[in-house]
Amino acid sequence: MKEHVIEIKNLHFSYEEQPVLDGINLVLDRGQFLGLVGPNGSGKSTLIKCVLGMLKPERGEIRLFGQPVRHARLGGRIGYVSQKANSFNLGFPATVKEVVASGLYGQLGLLRRMGRLEWKKVDQAIAKVGLSAFRDRNIGKLSGGQQQRAFIARALVADPDLLILDEPTVGVDAKSTEQFYALLTELHRHHGLTLLLVTHDIGVLSTSVDQVACLNKRLFFHGDPDEFAQREQEILTQAYGHDIQIVSHHHH
Amino acid sequence: MFDLLIQYEWMRNALYAGVIIGFISPLVGVYLVVRRLSLIADALAHVTLSGVAAGLLMQKEVAWFQGVNPLYTGMFFSLAGSMFVEKVRSLYRSYQELAIPILLSGGIGLGVVLISAADGFNVDIAGYLFGSILAVDEGELTLIAGIGILVVLFFLFFYKEMFALSFDEEHAVLTGISRKIINLLFMLVVALVIAASIRVVGILLVSALMTIPVAASLQFTNSFRQTLIWSVVFSQLAVFSGLFAAYYLDWASGGTIVLVSVAILLLILAVKRIVRIFRRNPVS
Ligand SMILES: Nc1ncnc2c1ncn2[C@@H]1O[C@H](COP(=O)(O)OP(=O)(O)OP(=O)(O)O)[C@@H](O)[C@H]1O
Ligand SMILES: [Mg+2]
Repeated sequence: MKEHVIEIKNLHFSYEEQPVLDGINLVLDRGQFLGLVGPNGSGKSTLIKCVLGMLKPERGEIRLFGQPVRHARLGGRIGYVSQKANSFNLGFPATVKEVVASGLYGQLGLLRRMGRLEWKKVDQAIAKVGLSAFRDRNIGKLSGGQQQRAFIARALVADPDLLILDEPTVGVDAKSTEQFYALLTELHRHHGLTLLLVTHDIGVLSTSVDQVACLNKRLFFHGDPDEFAQREQEILTQAYGHDIQIVSHHHH
Repeated sequence: MFDLLIQYEWMRNALYAGVIIGFISPLVGVYLVVRRLSLIADALAHVTLSGVAAGLLMQKEVAWFQGVNPLYTGMFFSLAGSMFVEKVRSLYRSYQELAIPILLSGGIGLGVVLISAADGFNVDIAGYLFGSILAVDEGELTLIAGIGILVVLFFLFFYKEMFALSFDEEHAVLTGISRKIINLLFMLVVALVIAASIRVVGILLVSALMTIPVAASLQFTNSFRQTLIWSVVFSQLAVFSGLFAAYYLDWASGGTIVLVSVAILLLILAVKRIVRIFRRNPVS
C-alpha cells in the first residue's frame, strides 16, 4: 500500500465569517506530483497554510505522513516555497549561500553550528537549482527567477520528502519557467520527491504533473491530467465561473 | 599614548567601556537595521532616560536608594519597554514600527515629568543625554562588561536563528525556530545594550552607533557575515576617535563618535561614486 503523504478529510476553513474552504477531501500519495489550480482567491494558499499548520482548520482533519498536523513545523520532511517568497527586503545583506543554509537552521537546533557536512548539502542544493555560479552573490541582486530558484534550494537543502510550491513561477520568464519545470520533473522522477504545486499555468498540467486538483472553495475536480484535459472546459467553467480567461497553451 | 593608559585608571576604564560598546552596539544594530527597526533603539533610549530620571528622583527622596546607580533603573525601564515593543509587534504584524512613536513620546513625557518633579538634580543630566566616556567608573565598567558578555553569549547561541528570523520570519518559524522566545530575548538584549551605551554616547546618540556603522557597511558588503564584521570595525574606529578627541581636544566624546561614524559613511559613499565614475570612463 502506498503511504499517504497528505491526507485531508472534510476540511472547513473561514477567515472571518466568509468560508474559504468548504469540505475539502484530498489524498496525496508518496511519489506523486499534484498540480493545484483555481482562480484568484479560491483558497489555494489557504489550503496550503492549513496543511503546513500555519492556519488552524475550523473543522476536519489533516494528516501529514500519517501524523495529525498540530504545530507549524516543517521538521525537515517538508520543503515550502511561499507565494510571497521573493517579496523579501531586497537590500538584505545575505548571499545565496547564507539564505540556502538557513533552510537547515531549524533542523540543526540550538547550539549546533554549520559543519562541513552541512555546507556540502548547501552546495549540492545550490547546484541542483543551477545557481552554483551565483553562490556568493547578494540575493537581492539576482533576477526574480534566480531568486525563486534560491528559495527552492532553501526548501530542498534539508532533503525533504514533500515539496510544496505556491505559484513559484510568477514573474519568471518562459525559458526559466521551462527549466524550472524540468527541474521539478527531475526531482520527482529521479529523487522520488512528492510534490504539490499551485499554479495558474494550465499548460504545465498536461506535461509535468500526474494529478490535477481544481479548487474554488470546494474541490471541483481531482484526478489524472488526461481526464482533466478531456473535461477541461466543463470543469473550468464550473470552478472559474462563466466568462473565463485563463492561461492555456495547449499543443494541438 | 599607551603609557597614558597604564598610568590612569579612568583612561583604562574609558577605553575598555568604549571597546565593549563599540563591539556590541553595531552587532545588535545590524539586526535592527535589516529588520527595519532601527528607530526602536531611539525609542528605548528615551525610555531609559525616564528610568534614569526615576533613579535620580529616588536617590533624592528615598534614603536607601542613595547607593543605587540610576543606570540600573534606566536599564529596568528599558527592559520593560522592550517587552512592550514585542507585545505591540505581535499585536500589529503589519505595523511593527508602531511601538516606536508610543515609546518615544511616552519615554520623553515621563522623563520630563520626573525631572520637573525632582525640581532639579545635583547630578549633571547632560552626562546621560550626551555621554561622558571619561567619567565611567569601576562599577559602571563592571555593568558594561557584564552586559557585553551576555550579548556575546546571545549571539553565540542564536546567530543562526536570528539570521533566519530576520531574513524570513514566516519560513524560519516553519522550520521550527521559536519566534516568540528569540525575538523577546533579542529585544531584551537591545535594551541592555542601550543601557550600557548611555555612558559612552549618551541617550540622544545611542542609536547612532547601532545604525551608522551598519549603514556604511551595507554600502559595499554582500554577505551577512561581512556586514557584521565591517560594522564592528567602523564602530571601533569611531569609538577610538571619540575617546581621543575627548581627551586631547576636550571635545564631547559622544558627539565626536557620531561625527566620525557619519564621516566614514560619507567617505564610503564618495569612494563608491569615484569607483563608479572610473568604471564608466576608464583612463586609457
Ligand atoms: N489573512 C486573511 N484574512 C482574511 N481573509 C483572507 C486572508 N487571506 C486570504 N483571505 C481571503 O481568503 C480567500 C482565499 O485566499 P487565498 O490566498 O487562499 O487564495 P488563492 O487561491 O491563493 O489566490 P491567488 O491565486 O490569488 O494566490 C480570498 O477571498 C481572500 O480574500
Ligand atoms: Mg495564493
